[in-house]
Formats: sequence, structure tokens, C-alpha cells
Amino acid sequence: MNTKIKLVIFFSIALFTACNLDEYPYGFYSEDNFFKTAEDAEAAVNYAYGTLNYLEYSRSIFFLGDMPTEMLTTKSDASVHNQDLNNWKVINFKTNETLENFFKYAYIGINRANAVIKKVPDADFDTKLKNQYLGEAYFLRAWNYFNLVRNFGLVPMHYSLVETLEQTSAGLAADMDEAWGIIFTDCRKAIELLPVYEQPKIGRADRVAAQSLLAKAYLYVASAKENNVLLYRDMKRDVTQMYDSAAYFANEVITKQNTYGFEDNLLSIYDVENPRGKEKIFIMGMDRTGQTEGEYSKISKMFIPYIDGATIYLKQGDTDEFIPSHDGWGEYRTEIDFYNAYDANDRRKNHLIVNKVYDANGQVKSEYPGDLLYPFCRKYIDPEFEGDKTSTRPFLIRYSDIALIYAEAAGPNDLSYNLVNYIRSRAGLGNLRPGLSTADFRNEVRKERKFEMAFEGDYMYDLRRCNKIGEIKEVVDAGLTENQYTFYPIPQAEINLNGELR
Amino acid sequence: MNMKMKRKKQPSLLLFYCLAIMLCWITPHVTFASIEQEGDPINVSGYVKNSQGEVLIGATVKVKGEPMGTVTDINGFYNLKGVPKNAVLEFSYVGFQSQEIPIEGRSRIDVVLVDNLQLQEIVVVGYGTVKKSDLTGSVASIKTDVVKDIPANSIEGLLQGRAAGLQIVNSSQDPGAGSIVRIRGASSLRGSNSPLIVVDGFPLGEAGDLKQINPIDIESVEILKDASASAIYGSRGANGVILVTTKEGHIGKPTIQIKQQLVMSEFTSKLNLWRDPVLMALLSNEARTNAGLSPLYVGEVSSTGIYYPSVEELMTTWKTNTRWDELVFRDAPLSNNTTLSFSNSTERTRINFSANYFTDQGVYIKDNYDKLGFNLKVDHKLYDNLNLRFSDILYLGNRNTNNDLAYWRNPIFPVYDENGDYYLTSSNDYSHPIAISDHRKNQTKMFDNIGSAALEWQVFPSLQLTSQLNYKYGKSTQDAYYPKKYTEAGTFNNGQGVINNWEGQNFVTETYANFQKLVADRHDIGVMVGHSYEYSMSRSSYLQANDFVNEALKNENMSAGNPEKNVISNGYSESKLLSYLARINYTYNNKYLLTFTSRADASSKFGKDNRWAFFPSGAISWKAHEENFVKNLNLFNELKFRFSYGISGNQGISPYQTLSRYGTGKYYNDGNWVTTIGPGYVSGWTGPGWIYRVWSGIPNPGLKWETTSQSDFGIDLGFFNRRLRVTFDYYNKLTYDLLRERNLALSSGYDKMWVNDGKLRNRGIELTVDGIILDNNDWTLSGTFIFSKNKNKVLDLGNTLESGLITNERTDLLFEYSGNNLEQYRGYTNILAIGHPVNVFYGYKTDGIIQTLAEGLEAGLTGEYAMPGEYKYVDLDKNGVVDENDKDVIGDPNPDFTCSLSLNARWRNFDAEIFLNGVVGNDVVNTQAFNQPSNQPLRWTPDNPTNKYPSLRDGRQVMFSDWWIEDGSFLRVQNLTLGYTVKLPSEKIVASKLRLYVNASNLYTFTNFKGYDPEVDLLGVYYGGYPRLRNWTFGIDITF
Repeated sequence: MNTKIKLVIFFSIALFTACNLDEYPYGFYSEDNFFKTAEDAEAAVNYAYGTLNYLEYSRSIFFLGDMPTEMLTTKSDASVHNQDLNNWKVINFKTNETLENFFKYAYIGINRANAVIKKVPDADFDTKLKNQYLGEAYFLRAWNYFNLVRNFGLVPMHYSLVETLEQTSAGLAADMDEAWGIIFTDCRKAIELLPVYEQPKIGRADRVAAQSLLAKAYLYVASAKENNVLLYRDMKRDVTQMYDSAAYFANEVITKQNTYGFEDNLLSIYDVENPRGKEKIFIMGMDRTGQTEGEYSKISKMFIPYIDGATIYLKQGDTDEFIPSHDGWGEYRTEIDFYNAYDANDRRKNHLIVNKVYDANGQVKSEYPGDLLYPFCRKYIDPEFEGDKTSTRPFLIRYSDIALIYAEAAGPNDLSYNLVNYIRSRAGLGNLRPGLSTADFRNEVRKERKFEMAFEGDYMYDLRRCNKIGEIKEVVDAGLTENQYTFYPIPQAEINLNGELR
Repeated sequence: MNMKMKRKKQPSLLLFYCLAIMLCWITPHVTFASIEQEGDPINVSGYVKNSQGEVLIGATVKVKGEPMGTVTDINGFYNLKGVPKNAVLEFSYVGFQSQEIPIEGRSRIDVVLVDNLQLQEIVVVGYGTVKKSDLTGSVASIKTDVVKDIPANSIEGLLQGRAAGLQIVNSSQDPGAGSIVRIRGASSLRGSNSPLIVVDGFPLGEAGDLKQINPIDIESVEILKDASASAIYGSRGANGVILVTTKEGHIGKPTIQIKQQLVMSEFTSKLNLWRDPVLMALLSNEARTNAGLSPLYVGEVSSTGIYYPSVEELMTTWKTNTRWDELVFRDAPLSNNTTLSFSNSTERTRINFSANYFTDQGVYIKDNYDKLGFNLKVDHKLYDNLNLRFSDILYLGNRNTNNDLAYWRNPIFPVYDENGDYYLTSSNDYSHPIAISDHRKNQTKMFDNIGSAALEWQVFPSLQLTSQLNYKYGKSTQDAYYPKKYTEAGTFNNGQGVINNWEGQNFVTETYANFQKLVADRHDIGVMVGHSYEYSMSRSSYLQANDFVNEALKNENMSAGNPEKNVISNGYSESKLLSYLARINYTYNNKYLLTFTSRADASSKFGKDNRWAFFPSGAISWKAHEENFVKNLNLFNELKFRFSYGISGNQGISPYQTLSRYGTGKYYNDGNWVTTIGPGYVSGWTGPGWIYRVWSGIPNPGLKWETTSQSDFGIDLGFFNRRLRVTFDYYNKLTYDLLRERNLALSSGYDKMWVNDGKLRNRGIELTVDGIILDNNDWTLSGTFIFSKNKNKVLDLGNTLESGLITNERTDLLFEYSGNNLEQYRGYTNILAIGHPVNVFYGYKTDGIIQTLAEGLEAGLTGEYAMPGEYKYVDLDKNGVVDENDKDVIGDPNPDFTCSLSLNARWRNFDAEIFLNGVVGNDVVNTQAFNQPSNQPLRWTPDNPTNKYPSLRDGRQVMFSDWWIEDGSFLRVQNLTLGYTVKLPSEKIVASKLRLYVNASNLYTFTNFKGYDPEVDLLGVYYGGYPRLRNWTFGIDITF
């Protein structure tokens, strides 16, 4: 072998190694290989919906919406963070884990919606589908900001997808007009882009959901400014105009579509086996066949007290039927004063709050007062539960809520009276006194909301927008100031790590 | 032999060696040359052998100054006639040091010639070799002769205590288990801390489990410690490098060797188990009563449906007292290790082949490991200056895992019920060891092939080109089945079958040139430049089927599960590394040595902005013993000073961290489960019970390697004709740009992101003393003492806010938790704290046991914590409350120093070795300090107001405190070997050599630690388990 050949062998081996050192993702999706098709876009929209289900976020519907009020309390061995919220220990709120999670997951939802809003327009597929997914993304971004702004006031504003370290910091909204601005404009875009479903879809929002959210948002701001709530009182928007807008969009929901409407029977509103019921404008997409909590729901365990570990049976209204359920952990406990505040004839108390549980033979096993710890909310029972797994899908927007929003926003007109009286009669109560003034009528509607929307994560926000948080016993006892009780503080971890806030 | 081969590769080096030999070795002999020759001629004959006792065929025997001479015959025998009585005989053989021996009237002179290179001690460094005397860096060399009698699955476990600065922890005694390997401490927090292991030039990966290579096939192991030595491996050199050189074909006659080892194991101490059910029941009742619970042992069916007899019943009528350990553990686990090796050489070709069969019984029944290995190495000279090397290693492993059996099961439970079925306490009883052993399946099959081919071309006498191609393929398959009954996974899923596949490939090609030239007799210049490319890939798939109708086939037919409940997943990763390397050695006058090394690495794991990394290092050395003024002292045979400084890296991160990454999930979309995809993926779990997700996915295009700069100062000393040799090193290693995860603003939608942040320091000293006390025909006595001390300190953990560090307000200590969250303490035991070594223990201090309620309240304790019989936690800041701020650094799992001593003795054909290994000054958390039959009876009671143990109380929420920390120092008689070697005259018996030996490992351990054994993992947490095994090995080596 001559030298040349040997040299060729050597250098061919050496050159064999010319290579490309770039990394290409394998086995995971990234911006390079995703957002190309309609299926991608739908998967991304569903990823954004999925945020609402994570237990870090979904449990807070009740924890922030009901727990700090006189509606619910918790048990003594609940996590210290939840006890602090229940007891308004504001000194710890900046590091409260529940608040931190709620805050963080709202933004995770926003980021996922932002991904759809940023990437889908460039993808190459049918415009109608694009509009649908963009509309849902706008709705979800609005929904998450709605959660944030109601609880924290001025929050960091992420208008676009976070893709680099620099983009992880964002400044606070300048004022409430900016903070609510994104909710209003996103809802309007969603209304423009979304269709109305022929029948309610589990876990998906449509134009009616967007109209409902916009009505809720306008009513919230209108009443907050009217009631002189901190920061809201400085807003530029006009109160009357906002009430009108709320009434307009609620009216769209009530009169301009046939998919959603009132459910005649209280129990069927909450029937897990009736997931496409007419009241269900927007509910969580969960099912007992899921593998982890969030995919399935454990909400019922939170409301039911521990009894003896065995299956319990609940009476179906005035009938002789019973449905089974597991017992629970007693985390969300009805406060007795609230229970007693119901009208004695109110079916929403007698049929939806349980003071007697039965065994398989229909014998009373436990009752309140007695050895049942407290009368518990049964809106979230799944009789087909598998162990701890249930298909309970909490309401995010319910038709009756929007009906009451219309009534409150529009004030005492015929439609308003009809809507409120329908809800009252369904609960077994008489009609509202006719001829009330706007202010009195609104007060009556708000009272009605308290009982109709009980345990649905709503009451706390009614108190907030009506500037009544300061009247809660714990708040009064703690001697909290307007600055302390009007909004939760931005979590310390956010202040520490968001360069725009330091 | 290996050494000779190295010489052939580098003839220019040989020249250099010869020069060195002349200087160092021949000088003393020169005096013989002047002896006058006189007297009558005589006949002289004898054998010429090498130091291993093998005959040398064709060795030259000359009479000095006379035209007389001969060569040895096939038996190594020579015969010279008519030689002057006072003549001097010259014995020489290629590759061996020549010897001159005055006849002095004798007629029989047997000679042992010593291998040149053996004398020179050639040391393998990356991409080349160097004489040990010319080393400028810190390299420890271990000849595997010293461990040849100890059977092992992989070499690492055997290296414990054998080199200064090398820390080996053998915390697992499972068959086929690996070891933890560290060189000069831990230099990374989140990346890998394991050294790179390189076998015959093939970088295989992280050290710890080199099971593919039979330790018997290993010739030598080199540990590259300082930057000068390890920087040639660039971005993978920061944790040090272990170079393994396997045996090559033997020069001389064809040899066949059989090595047979049989190992029997036994526990070194008794098991700490309940033998007296009455005492157990009494204490259990006491513990439950103290907790306000109803006692169990009252002769009633408990709430879990189990009948617990009363104490009286246990004392009288209850006969069941099952010794579960006797059912679960083998009496004497056996291990067998058989190696057959064959070696031959012709003028052009050398071959070494070995086959190995290794079986290892675990201490648990049905817990086994066996492996079959083949190793072929061929070295062929295509032309006089072109050499081809080829090697292939094949490994087949088989592991049957059954190592988690409940030997601690309650002795009052029988094994079988009255119907002959397994006695289960309830349908949720998942710890019946016999049922599990009989019905569960958990097997792993492993296969590896490591092949390599190299061309070595001696272009000029001073220039050699080497090109090497390496390829490794490995795969493993796990088969598991968890039956419907007896196992948790099986019960929950109505039978669960698993197939878990993994395969990986490594491809490395390297080409380098070595130039070596002596200029003007005093400038010795060596240059190496090279290039390397490495590709590695791994892929995995996981198949799980659930809900089986019929269990007979276990996981053999996965489609028999319920198709709706199948779980599948797969993974893939790939990384590439392109490198250029260079080394320059310059020696002036054999006194002053200079080395400059550098490597440039481009790794696909690094971000685009930091693709190339450059790792330079330099070293200088002064051989003072070559200076006349030192020579005149007549004290030192060697006095060498070394200093090195350099930079190496650690790229121990997983690939794809510099890319943005989306996550996937599931959503119940209008009645159907659909896959969801979007920005952010779950990279971990956090919070109480790990229920909260950790979100990652923001890329860091600037991500790079961790950098370690290291300086090393060393002295090598030799006295008494090198019979006493001392090596001392001081090093200072600073690692910065530590790979860590920083926290991101909550509103970003992400939690964590990888960054380079933080600093860590390791400083230490190493001392090795080698001595030959006695060396003559009948006696050899030698010893090695090794001492290593490493001091580790966390200097920086990055930005306090971004890293989410916790502050102890009393001491201003900044820290984060590390290690494992222990259920027992509902928290972490270890922390990374600025100013402290890695993983120190952090918890409360205790001051004995509370004797009265008043004492408890006064101590700042409240509620049940203040009761008599409870731990008295100390309120360090004396603010009247014991809270988080009263925690403190309460222990350090890192040893103060480690040391070892090996003593070797030979008397004629008998030899003996004793090896002692010690670890001193480390703390261990003994999690079993108050739940054992040995310590529970010592509890506090009102009648026994001890200050040492608390009262028994079920459900006590114990806080982590110094009460649980014990001194983990130990001195172990690690090995004792006795051997007998017979050399047989080959003409009479087939075999030429026979060796018999007995080895005992883990013979005895001196320690104050109260658990079974203090050798635990690096976090220093002892979890119990079973005692260390003492292994008795009976071995026989036969050479044909």
C-alpha cells in the first residue's frame, strides 16, 4: 500500500466527521413543527381550556369565590393557606400558595390563548375554523383576565405569547380602564368570530359564552364604579353606558338564540348525566374516565363531610328516589348562618343542601343537626362515581346567572321581572313585589343571586363589586382597610421575579 | 504485553526511554564492567525468565568482552561452555532491561529480566502515553493485579480506596449493582458528578457501572485528576476521567488461562427483627395508647379486618412466630465467576480472547443476576509501519429482580392460612413476600456490543498517525407482570403487564497525530494534534397493558389486556460533539517539563450562542533529582515538583434544553378525550405531596457547559532506591456557571428555566506512600497508604430571588433544599447552603427528652410537643417559640478524610494481602434510630425517665433534628487474600502455573454507627435494609 492510499484512508476517516451540530426536536412539539393545521390549532385551543381544570386553578373557583365569605368555611386541619384566606389573614396573602397558584394558572391560560392568537392566523387552513379557534382563544384570554382583575386589580399585562426570557416580565396595567379594556375587546372579538352551537358542547365556549362573559364584565365594572370601589371610582367609562352594555349583551343571550335557556327543575340543572343541559353555557371539560385529578373531578369530595367511608344515599327532592355518592373530606363547609338565611320554603335549600343522608335501605344514616357535621351543598354529586373519580363539571357560566345579570343591568322592566320571577318560582318562592325602583330592584336581584348562585364561586365577586367586602365579619374583626380588602395583593414571588415590578 | 505494544507505537519515545534508562538505571551497574577476567574456563547454564516467571525464548547471553555467546532455547534455557571464571555475562532481550552478572565461579546462573517499560511505568493519558516519571499532571495509576482475586461485576467497586482523590461508594449490595464514583468531590449541583470513563480510547460515558468489561480483562486503570490531565477531554473532563486499558495479546508462547472463583456470602451482623412477639405487642399497645388510639393487640379484629391476638394470648396459646427473614433471605448466596482466556502472538499478529460467565445470587430468594461476556482483541501488523488494532466486547446480562421483600413482616402472621393459601391480612396486603416472589415477574435482559478498530501508521520514526473508530450498541428490555392479587399495581389495575425497551448507540471517530523528537540531545519535543467526533443516541419505549382476563401468560401477550387501558410512551434523544485537541510536551535536559493541553468542543447540547467551548490547561514540572546539587545530597532518587492549572467542563445536561418545548395533555372535549398541545410542559412536580406542576419550556439559547478551573501542586518523592515513594498533591477546584434552574415570574406562564448560575469549590490534599520493605528471593513485603481529604463549599447559588433561596432569619443562612423529601420528617433533610459543603443536614437541635410539662413549655414548645417523653427541640433564638428560624446546620454527610492501607506479603510461594479502608468524619442520618427491636424497648416512660429516647407514641410528627444524626466514620477490613502459587515444570504436567487463593471481603468493620452499615449514598441518609455481606471467595487460576 503506498503512502497516498494510506493518506486517503486517514483523511476520509477524518472527514467522515463533518457534521451539523444543530438540535432538532424529537418526540416533542415546538413552534417548529406545530401550528400548521386545523387539528394543531384545535389541540392548542383545548390546551388552553385544559388550564382551567388543573387542581391548582379549578379548586380556586370555590376558594376565592365563596370561601372568604360567610357562605363557606373550612376545616381546622385544612392547609394553612386556605385557612388564611377563609379568615382574611391578609398579612400572609402575598405568599399564599392558593393565591399564587390561581394567579399563575390564570397566566398559563393567557399564555396558551396568546399562542393561538399569535400562531393560528399564519397557519394555512379554512377561515371558518380559524375564526372559531381564534374566537375561543380570545374568549379564554378574556376569561382569565376577568379572573385576575376581579381578584388582584391592576395586574401585569401579557398581550402576547411569552417565548423568551425577556418576554417573561411585563408591567402592570396603568389603570382599571386598561385592565378591563382587554376583557371587553377580547369578548367583542370572540363574539364576532364565534358561532352559536346547535346544542351546548361540554367544555367549549361559543358566541353566547362570549356575550355572557361580556355582560358579566360590564355589569361588574358598572356596579363597582357606581358603588365607589377603590380604583374603579377613577375609571373613565360611564356607569350608565356600562349597565346598558351589560343589558344589551345579556339580552342577546336571552332573546337571540335557542340553544340555551332555563332548566325547569332545580335538580336537573345539576344532573351530571345531563351535561348538555340548557343552563350550561360554559362548563368544565372533565370526566370520571380521566387518569389524573383535573381530567376527572373530585369537587364533590370537597363539599361532603366525612361520614363513615361507605357509600351514602341522597334523597331526590320531594320524590322517593335516592342517588348514591361517596362521602367526602369536609373541606368546603356550609356556614350555618347562611344556611338559615334561606327562606324556609326555598327548594334551593331543601333540595340542594343536604341535611339528611341515607343508607342503601333508605334509612337515615346521619342528619343535621345531629351527627352530620354540617348541611352540605349537593350541586356537585355524581351518582356514577368511581372511587374518588367523578364527572362533576363545575359551572363557569350558567343561563340563570345571565338572566339575573340582565335583570340587574336593565333594571325593573317586564323582561327583568319575568326572569327573576321564573327563577323564584322554580325555587318554590312567590313573585317579586312589582313596581320597585331601579335601586331597590337591583338590590332584590342581588339578594336572589346570593341564593341562586350559592356554592358556584360567584358570591365573593358580588360583594367585591358592590363594595361590601368590608362588611364581612372577619374583615371587620381584623380592622382591615379598603386597600387591604378590595384586592388581593400581587404575590411576592411575582414582584420578586418580574423585572417590570421591581 | 500491553507495555511493549505502546513502545512499538512510538519508537521515538523508545529512544527517549533508552536515554532515560541509561541515565537512571544503567549507571549503578557500570562499575561491573571494569572487573578483570582471570582463571580457568568453566561451563555455565541456566534459565532466563521474565518477572512473571515465564521463560524467555531467544534471549541473548553474551560473555562480556569476548566473542562468545548463545541464545536461550524453547524452554528459556542456555548453556555456555568454556567461559572464563571471572567473566561477566550479559543477558539481553528485546524490550527488556539488559543485565550483566559476574560469574564468580558459578556454573548455574538463572536470570530474571525486567521489562523495560515496567520499570519505566508507562502511564496512559488521553490520546497517548507518557512515562510516569515525565508526568506533569496529577494521574493515579492502578495496576489491576492488586484486585485480581476479588470477584466483581464491574471494575469501579474494586477501586475503592485504591487511589488518592478517588471516592467510591458501594451503597447497594444488589447483584449487578453499580457504584458511586467521584474524583476530588462533587463539582456540579444539577449536572452529573460522575467521571468520564474511557476504555481503550473509547469514551463510553459516566463511570459507575462498567459491567460490560470483565475486571479480569483489565490491565490498568488511570485516574486523571487535575486539569492538566483531564482538560484533554474538554467539556466532559470536569469530573475527572477514568481511563481503562484492557489486556492485549501476550508475547511468548500461546497461553490458556482458566480463572475460577466461587463466592459465598453471609451477613456481617445479625438482623434486627422482632423475635419476641410479646414484647412487640406490648410496645405497640403502649405506642397506640400513648397516642390516644385503641391498642391493637387486644384479641379483636381491628378496623382493617385483621385479628390481632391479645398479649396474654401471645404469651400462652399463640404459636405463630414466623421468621420471615429465614424465608426471604438465602442462607448463603452464591456467586460464580469463570473466565477462560487465550492469548497468542506471532511475528505480526497478537490475539487475546476471553470468555466470562458470571452468576450472582442476591441475598433475597429468586433475586439473581448473570452475565456472559466475550472480549476479543487482535493486533495485526499490516506493514512494518502500519498496525491494525481491532477489539470487540460482547455483553449479555440477565437480571431477575426480587429485592424488595418484606423480611420485616409481622411475625404473628403465618405464611399460609388453614387452606394452604397465602395468609393475607386484607385484600390490600401487598407485602406477602412469598406470594410476591411466586407470582410477580420482573426481569431485565441487557445486551451490549462495544467494537473498535484502529489504524496506527508510523509515518516517520518521529511521527505516528492514529485513527480509531468506535461503536457501541446497547439495549435492555424489562419484562414485568404484577398480578391481580398480592401487588398494588396489579390490584388497582386488575393485572398489569409491562414491557420496557431501551436502546442506545454511541459512535466515536478520532484521528490524531503524535510527533516526538529529541533535538540537540536536550530538547525533547512531543506534539499531539487530533480531532474527534461523537454521536450518541438513545431511544426507549414503554408498553403497559392493564385489566387482564387471564393471567397465565403474564406479560407475554400484552394484547390480552383491556385495549382501552393500554398505556404507551416513547422517548428519543440525540447529541453530538465535535472536538479538536492538541497537546505539547516539552522537556529540557530531562529536568524541566512543560505541558500545554487544549481541547475545543462543540456540543449540540449547548445553545447556538455558545456552541464552541475552549478548554486550555498548562503544567510545569521540575525534576530536581536530576540536578547535581540534589544528587549530591544522596537522599532522593526522585524529587519532582509539579504545578498545573487549567479549565475543563461539564456538559451533564440532557439534550434539547436550548429549544422551546410544548407540552401535551388531555381534555374532555364535548364527550371525547382529545390530545391537547401547546406552550409549556410539565418538567416536574412540587408542593405538599407533589400535587403541583412545574412548568418549563422557555428555551435558553445561551445555555452552556459548567466550567471548572483547577490548580494542582504536587510533589513526587523517591527514597532508598525508590523503595519508598511518596506522592503529594494539593488542589483547588472552582466550578462556576453551574447548571441550575431559575424561577420565572408567575405571570410568564412558566416556572423554571435552565441557566448557568452559581459557584462551588473543592479543595483538598492527597497523599500516597508506597513502600517496599523487604524484597528477596524468599520474602516480599510492601505496602501502600493512601490519604485523601476534600473540603467542599458552596460559594454562590445565583440570584437569591431568581433561585428562590430561603433565608434563615436568625443566622442569615441562605439555602435551598436538596436530596429527598422524607415522609418520616415530612420534609427534606439536606440543603445546599452558601458557605457550607453540599448537602449538609438542616434541622432542629435537641437537648435530650422533656421530663416534665413545665420543662417543655419553658423550652418554647407547645401542644403535644411540650409533653413529657417528647424530643426537647431547642429554641436557639430564645424568642420563646420553636420555629423554622431555630433550625440550623446540624451535620455534614461529606467525610473529613478517607484513607486506606494495603499490605502485601509473599513468602516463597505464599502470598497475602490485607486491605483496610477508612472513611472518617461524615455524618449519617439514621432514620431507623427509633423503630427497631433494638431501640424501641429503650423508650422513655415515667418509670424510665431517660434522656436518650422519647416515649413510644404512634403518629408522632417527628421533626428532623440532630437526634437522628450519627457519626458515620468507619474502618473496614475490606479484603484479606491468602494465595499459593505453584510453578509446574511444563514438560511433566499440562499446566504451567497454578494458583489457589482465598479472599474475604468486608471481613470486619469498626464503627460506632448503630445501623447495619454506615456506607450509604452521598446524601448520608441510612434507610435500613439489611446488613452488609461478607464474601468468601475461593479461587483457582490455571495457566497452560
